[in-house]
Amino acid sequence: MAPGEAATALTAIGVSRSWLSDRVIAPCWFHPAFGLLAGAVIAEAEIRSAMLFAWSVVTYTIACGALMWWNQQRVGVAIQYFDCRTRAVFATHVLALTGLITVACWLGLDQKIHGAFLVAGILAVPLTVVFGRWTDRLLRVRLQAS
Amino acid sequence: MSAAARFDEIVHAPNRLQICAILSAVDSADFATIREALRVADSVLSKHVRVLHEVGYVDVHKTTCAGRIRTSVSLTSAGQTAYAGHVAALQAIVNNEGLQPGVGLQPAQP
Repeated sequence: MAPGEAATALTAIGVSRSWLSDRVIAPCWFHPAFGLLAGAVIAEAEIRSAMLFAWSVVTYTIACGALMWWNQQRVGVAIQYFDCRTRAVFATHVLALTGLITVACWLGLDQKIHGAFLVAGILAVPLTVVFGRWTDRLLRVRLQAS
Repeated sequence: MSAAARFDEIVHAPNRLQICAILSAVDSADFATIREALRVADSVLSKHVRVLHEVGYVDVHKTTCAGRIRTSVSLTSAGQTAYAGHVAALQAIVNNEGLQPGVGLQPAQP
């Protein structure tokens, strides 16, 4: 086989991998949608209604599940999203959100500062988007390199 | 890729190489997704998947979802090995490294 033909075959592999990574990466509104859901739940705690908060957590869980299911149907592939790097990013995201909620609880419930949960909810949106996009970048690199 | 270079004529056909390239990066892929990637007709893709299936390089799974049959395809460990070896062989050719006589450019016998 001529080197040119082998190079063409390797290029075709690269094109396929590129197509795959484009498909697996979530659409631009996907992470903002997760962020808005998380932000709404946190901000809603400002109302101080346990019942309403419980329902919002249930709604959040169902909405997140529906979004992930829809994305899985759209992508059409089964893939291990988590390797050591993406798992570390996800863990950092969870810790960051937990820290944000903890501070909001301290300010809102202990220090009786109004608006603490609202601000935390607003901050949760970009936080979720940043970590989501970071995960996407790592996933793209992994798919194109493997 | 650290696999031993081994040219595989089954994998080398352009459409089958692309199928293997996609499947090697995922656990499984829907038939419709692969068809979209290759931009070929159902019958063409079926033919290539059947060839790969007959030599044991892919598994085909059929599940029923909401009354519709959904077909997904995954690469077997034999398929992973063949694909990795084939890519290594291609890279060796491109890098002009030369392959050991009787190994590299001998088509793999499934």
